Amino acid sequence: MKPSRRQVLKALGVVGLSQALFPSWMPRMVFAPPSVQAQDSSNEHDILVVIFQRGGMDGLNTIVPFGEGAAYYDKRPTIAIAAPDGRDTSAIDLNGFFGLHPSLRPLKDIYDANGLSIVHGAGSPDPTRSHFDAMEYMERGIPGDKMTGTGWINRHLQSAAWENGSPFRAIGMGTLLPASLRGPISALAMKSITDFHLGGRSEQLSGIQNTLSRLYTLPTTGDMLETQASSVFSVIDMLKQFSAIEYVADHGATYPETEFGMGLRQIAQLIKAEVGLEVGCVDIGGWDTHDNQGGAQGAMSDLLSDFAQGLAAFNADMGEVWMKHITVVSMSEFGRTAVENASAGTDHGRASCMFVMGAGATGGVHARWQGLHTAALDEGDLAVTTDYRDVIAEILLKRVQNTSLETIFPGYTPNLTDIIASR
Amino acid sequence: MSVSRREFLRYASILAAGTAAAQFLTPPVYADESDALLHVLNRLTWGPRPADYAAIQTMGIEEYIDWQLDYATIPDPQVDEFLAARRILSMPINDLNRAIEADYDLVLSLALWSRLYLAIHSERQLYERMVEFWTDHFNIPIPDYLGERMVDARDVIRPHALGYFRELLLASAQSPAMLYYLDNAVSSAEHPNENYARELMELHTLGVDGGYTEVDVVEVARVLTGWTVGNQSQFSFDKDKHDYDEKSILGHIFPAGRGLEEGLQLLDMLATHPSTARFISSKLCRRFVSDTPPDSLIESTASVFRDTEGDLKAVMRHLLTSSEFMASAGQKFRRPLEFLVAALRVLQPGFQIDNPETLLYTLEPMGHLPFFWHPPNGYPDVGIAWMNTNGLMHRWNTALQLGLAGDGYFSGAALNLDAVIPPAATIGDLVQTTAEHLLMRSLPQDDVNELVLLLVGSNDLDYAVTDVLRQHQLPVLVGLILASPHFQWS
Repeated sequence: MKPSRRQVLKALGVVGLSQALFPSWMPRMVFAPPSVQAQDSSNEHDILVVIFQRGGMDGLNTIVPFGEGAAYYDKRPTIAIAAPDGRDTSAIDLNGFFGLHPSLRPLKDIYDANGLSIVHGAGSPDPTRSHFDAMEYMERGIPGDKMTGTGWINRHLQSAAWENGSPFRAIGMGTLLPASLRGPISALAMKSITDFHLGGRSEQLSGIQNTLSRLYTLPTTGDMLETQASSVFSVIDMLKQFSAIEYVADHGATYPETEFGMGLRQIAQLIKAEVGLEVGCVDIGGWDTHDNQGGAQGAMSDLLSDFAQGLAAFNADMGEVWMKHITVVSMSEFGRTAVENASAGTDHGRASCMFVMGAGATGGVHARWQGLHTAALDEGDLAVTTDYRDVIAEILLKRVQNTSLETIFPGYTPNLTDIIASR
Repeated sequence: MSVSRREFLRYASILAAGTAAAQFLTPPVYADESDALLHVLNRLTWGPRPADYAAIQTMGIEEYIDWQLDYATIPDPQVDEFLAARRILSMPINDLNRAIEADYDLVLSLALWSRLYLAIHSERQLYERMVEFWTDHFNIPIPDYLGERMVDARDVIRPHALGYFRELLLASAQSPAMLYYLDNAVSSAEHPNENYARELMELHTLGVDGGYTEVDVVEVARVLTGWTVGNQSQFSFDKDKHDYDEKSILGHIFPAGRGLEEGLQLLDMLATHPSTARFISSKLCRRFVSDTPPDSLIESTASVFRDTEGDLKAVMRHLLTSSEFMASAGQKFRRPLEFLVAALRVLQPGFQIDNPETLLYTLEPMGHLPFFWHPPNGYPDVGIAWMNTNGLMHRWNTALQLGLAGDGYFSGAALNLDAVIPPAATIGDLVQTTAEHLLMRSLPQDDVNELVLLLVGSNDLDYAVTDVLRQHQLPVLVGLILASPHFQWS
């Protein structure tokens, strides 16, 4: 087997899953729900889907402030998105001032149905322009703090008033666990549900699993290696209960063949299978557009297409009944410079924008907008006018029903913006 | 699930992902701390083999370390032969780019395979581990500029991996792959691109807390304007793109009117800055000692770094002969690539690789395919990052598959376990013999009992090992020992 260009792209997360990379002897376990039953009112907490756009998303070309006129267009001579003019390369009007990047067209119907809220000028109060610090701060939920090892999602699960013994309680779709999930509540990292099983001579597998689990019973209680190993065994056992039918998305939804699309699709699978999922995390990377960012077309446009198609597919797949119990929220570690650079790109900036989709959304673009004139900017960048924690806190309070905000965001009193619908 | 206050507190002081500490990991239980020789081998090599153990026993620890540090004098015939048979790997950039044009897949595969091959087979093991360290430190992902990326590995990282940091930094700053990757190639006086400038200070030299400001980032970008790639895919200084005005960086004035030379001065200043000495030392200690190396060692290593102007041999000699290093047995959780290479080294006499693709792509679901980490900070270097459900699951499968390679479970590879594991008359002996070969120490009796129970269905350690039993169960035993916790720590 030769690594083709497709496999290279695959390894980069551009194309689908890695099944083709496995030798053919490996048994295929395809996941199908035992029943597709809509949740009833007994479910009291929204399922949270958290999307992290890694690299720093340029909010100003995502939700385009075309109403700023020259204050926007003069700063971006080659990459600006045209004001809505009917062409499919121009912004899609939302409210006469802001417009969607044309690649976000799949989100327009959802927005029109008030299933999507946008928060512009959102970000972290810490001014670092380091990707790595900014991501860590955001995922820990404690900007500026390098001493706390737990992520905000883990602290949310830890402080929630309810119990949930499912190994699928929280999952990050990928090879590494996102920092937001780090902490004492065991969270899964999983790249592919279908590949999550032991391989070898089939008649020996259960014996091997049994022995392996004993070898991983370690002398020190609470050892992280033992905890993780035991999660693997629980998950394998749980997945065995599902029949081998190819997952087919409902309502004709088509997920993009990307790591992001596949991540969302697998979260949809898990939710419908009712395995106890409370939080699912999916990453979409590549937003560090220092050069050749493109405008209506190009590198960033492709990312936005992936993002929008993924969200739209998830929304369609889950359908109205499920989406009443799901809130999706996106964030990025920072936005980018308001002025484009000489490489037709943008450098690290401050505020970006967040998307809220699903049950909690009330529609609209929410921004404490101060304009793009020099005095309104933060050292040349869109200023953070909404702390990202305000948005999350409101979702946690109103949708997920966790009031322990002082544990989740220690030392911070959220300034709720009242953009999230109550259950 | 409720979490006790004690458990909660264990998380209270963990540092950043890159620098994440992991007080709640308790690996040393599995290390045979009394065995100093094995510890030194675990860290200096990509995984000790019986032959390495024999070598260090003969030489003694200090001589072995010096021998490995003086890598150029170690004959490496197998690597020489491998490279000589693959002309593409030594081609100048233009020829290489033509070869890529003709067959991208072939060249990519070769780039990945040579990386693994040298780690597995080179006699210069410490050197290869240093190459790995700097490959992460100056991370450049592969896809867009495969040729330039391969040249970076060959002509930037390898010549300086145990040389002088200052020279390594300069070579990296002028590497076409780096100039492309972090956009300095397109930076100009009119609009400096600050991508490289920032990572140069944050990731390559001073560290994020090393004392620079946002203004310094822009000023460094201005100093480096015009550093670009010429039309022969070589470093080139474009004087028309350079900013000749005065700059101020970290309190030093860079006077107006200077060209290339001010960039050289800047790199010199960064390479010799005390923050750099500390930052590089802390990363080396994290890689070679523990996820939470003692401050005392970081400080003393940094002072050797400063005193020797970044002589990496002297720095590594200090680190590897320190008491802190010697006391750190079993504290590093093997990253997926380290796990795979260690397994292949220990299976070496019987493991035949005709086509490496399947092998290479076991690293993909484990999240550690060489050259495929996209951000500039390199693959994570702490256990907490890798010790997750996805990583364990795929690591176990790789281990189990490797054991079964003799049964055709690994396309492109063959395994003769009789050439690896000596004969044993009883099942108890077979388990211990196998462990002693793969782990270079024996297994706790409880684990032996578990394995025996699986292999023969009883607790009888004296159960006779027939040829049929050996052929059928040795592959499973090998797979399980490679999958066990004992093989994951170094």
